[in-house]
Amino acid sequence: MRIERIGREPDYSRYMDLKEGWLDRRIFSDADIYEEELYRIFARSWLFVAHESQIPSSGDFLTTHMGEDAVIVARQPDGSIRVMLNSCPHRGNKVCFADAGNTRRFVCNYHGWAFDTAGDLKGMHEEYCYDAGDIDFKNHGLKNVAKVGNYKGLVFATFNSDAPSLEAWLGDFRWYLDMILDNEEGGTEFIGGCIKSVISANWKFGVENFIGDAYHAGWTHDSGARSMNNGQPFPPIDMQNSYHASMNGHGWEFGTEGVGDLVLLGRPKVMDYYNKIRPKMAERLGEMRSKIFGSVASASIFPNVSFLPGISTFRQWQPKGPMQFELKTWVIVNKAMPDDIKEEVTKGVMQTFGPGGTFEMDDGENWENCTTVNRGVVTRHERLHYRCGIGREIEHDTLPGIVYRGQYNDANQRGFYQRWLDMMTHDEFGKMPARPEPRLGNVAETRDLPGLFAL
Amino acid sequence: MTDTATLKRTREGTAASLELTHALTQTLYREARLLDTENYADWAEMLAEDLHYHMPGIETRYRRDKTEQVTDLTRMAYYNDSKPEILKRLSRLETGTAWSEDPATRYTHIITNVEVELTEKADEFRVYSNFYAYRNRNERDEDSLVGNRIDIWRQVGHAFQLVKRRAILKHNVMLSKNLNIYI
Repeated sequence: MRIERIGREPDYSRYMDLKEGWLDRRIFSDADIYEEELYRIFARSWLFVAHESQIPSSGDFLTTHMGEDAVIVARQPDGSIRVMLNSCPHRGNKVCFADAGNTRRFVCNYHGWAFDTAGDLKGMHEEYCYDAGDIDFKNHGLKNVAKVGNYKGLVFATFNSDAPSLEAWLGDFRWYLDMILDNEEGGTEFIGGCIKSVISANWKFGVENFIGDAYHAGWTHDSGARSMNNGQPFPPIDMQNSYHASMNGHGWEFGTEGVGDLVLLGRPKVMDYYNKIRPKMAERLGEMRSKIFGSVASASIFPNVSFLPGISTFRQWQPKGPMQFELKTWVIVNKAMPDDIKEEVTKGVMQTFGPGGTFEMDDGENWENCTTVNRGVVTRHERLHYRCGIGREIEHDTLPGIVYRGQYNDANQRGFYQRWLDMMTHDEFGKMPARPEPRLGNVAETRDLPGLFAL
Repeated sequence: MTDTATLKRTREGTAASLELTHALTQTLYREARLLDTENYADWAEMLAEDLHYHMPGIETRYRRDKTEQVTDLTRMAYYNDSKPEILKRLSRLETGTAWSEDPATRYTHIITNVEVELTEKADEFRVYSNFYAYRNRNERDEDSLVGNRIDIWRQVGHAFQLVKRRAILKHNVMLSKNLNIYI
C-alpha cells in the first residue's frame, strides 16, 4: 500500500534542534503538521491494535483506530488475526459499531453488504440488482492492512507494505519490552474492558511524558505518591544508577532499585508477589532486568503506546485532531498470577492511573494547558527547553540503546522527537537512520542472548 | 416456614413508606450538598465501614452480546472501592500539592428520580436515583456526567449510611480529562 499525499512539504528540521535541545511549539497545535503526521507517521508505522488475549476465540473482534482510521481487529478460524478498515467499500459506512464482541459477519446497515471476519464480501441485500460484470466480490472486501504482527501477545498492524518486520521495528527495544511481556512463564493478558477518556491536548505530550519524564513525577504527582504510600513523598531518584534508553523513538526510563513503581501502586500483595517471583525473573531475563523491573520507570513504544512496568497501566494515545487525543487505558497482568493478585493490580491501576486515579488527575490538566497556551500566535514562536542531561550519554555494557545516565533527563524525549523528525522528512522507510545501530540483530529471543546482555 | 416466604415476597422490592422515602431522599440531597462543597470529611461519615463503591466502564456492544459489563467486578471500572480505598483517594486532597484541584473545581450534583424499596434486611433500603453532575473549572472547562445509581443504605440510629453504590455513567468514551468527582 502506498499512501500518497500531494501538497506542501515544509522543512520539518526547522521545528527542532535536538543537539541544542529545543523544540518549536507549533508541532503541538498546527493543523497542517498534524495532518502530515497522520500520513507520514501513523499511516507508515507499526501501530498497536490489540492484546491477543482480548480476542481469544474465532470470530472475536474489537474495533480501534490506526491514526484516525477506524479498523476492525478480528480473530480468524485458523487462529490468525486480521486487521481491516471499518468502512464499507460501497459508500464507506461503518460496518461494525461495537467496541468488541464475537461475530460471523460484519454487515453494513446501509445496503446490507456482508463481510466475513477476514473482510471478504459474502453477499448483500437484493443481490440480483447487480448484473454480471457490475461487481467483483473478490475485490470489494474490507480493505486489509498491509501487515499484522504479534510480539509476545501485543498485536501490531501497519498500512505500510514497505515497513520492516515488527521484530526489526521494535529492534533492541524488545530487550526492555520483555520485562513486562515475558517476566514469568505464560506471558501476559489484558483485564476485560477498556476505559477511554478525552484529553484536549496534543497526542505527543502523553507519549513524551511516559517515554522519559521521570522529572515531573516527584512534583506533579507529589499528592498522588503521598496518598498511595502512607503520606510518603515520591521515592528518591538515584542519578548514578538510573537511566534513559532510546531506540528508534521507543524509550524506557528506569531506576535499578526494583521497587519504586510497585510502592506507588499501593498494593502490598502485588509487591510480595513480584518479590516472590524475582529470583525466577533473574534466571529468566538476567540479573539486570530483574533489578530494573518494578523500579520507578515509564516507557513508550513509538509512536503512541505507553505503559508503566510494575504499575501495569497500559495505554494508547489516539490522535483526534492537533489539540485532542483519546486515551485508552487497559491493565496488563501476567497470566500466571492468581485471580486475587490480578484483582489487586486492577484496583491499584484504577486508583492511580484511571481517570479518577490519584496520579492521572494531575497529568491531563498539565497537557491541556501545555497545548492550548502554546497556540498563542506569539507564544508559539518561543522555543521549548529539552536540554536536561544533554551531556550525560554513556556507553553501557549491558543496556541496549542510546543510553544516558540519570533518569531525570530529556534524552528519551529527544530520541522520540528525532524519530518523529526522521519519519516526517524521509520518504523512503529504508533510508531512515538507525538510532542507534541495533545490538540484538536477528536474535529472535532476548532470553537466549549472549553474555553481553547478562550482568 | 410459610411466614418467612410470605415475608420475603412482601418485603423485597416493596416501596418504602412516605416517611422513609422522604428521609432517604433528604439523605441523598444532603450527600450531594456535601460533595458540591467538597466537605469530604462529613461525606466519609455517611459511608459504612463495609462500603462497596462501584462505577463500571461501559463498552459499546451489540444487543446479542451477553457480556456482563455492569456487575462483573473483575472488569475495568472507574471505581471499585472499599471505604479505606475511597479514603486513600481522598487523602490526596489533604496533601496541599494536588495541583489540579487548585483553583478548585466548581461542582453541582443534581439528584432526581428517587425510589426507595425495602430489602430482606429490615435496616437496609435499596435506593434508585439518577444523577446529573456538572463540573466547571478555571475559565471554560466544563463537563456533564449523567447516569443512574443503585444504592443500599443502612439505617444507623436516626441517620443512614451508604453500604453499596453502583453508579452507571452513560459515557462510552468519558468525555472529560479526569474524574475528580464522586457521584
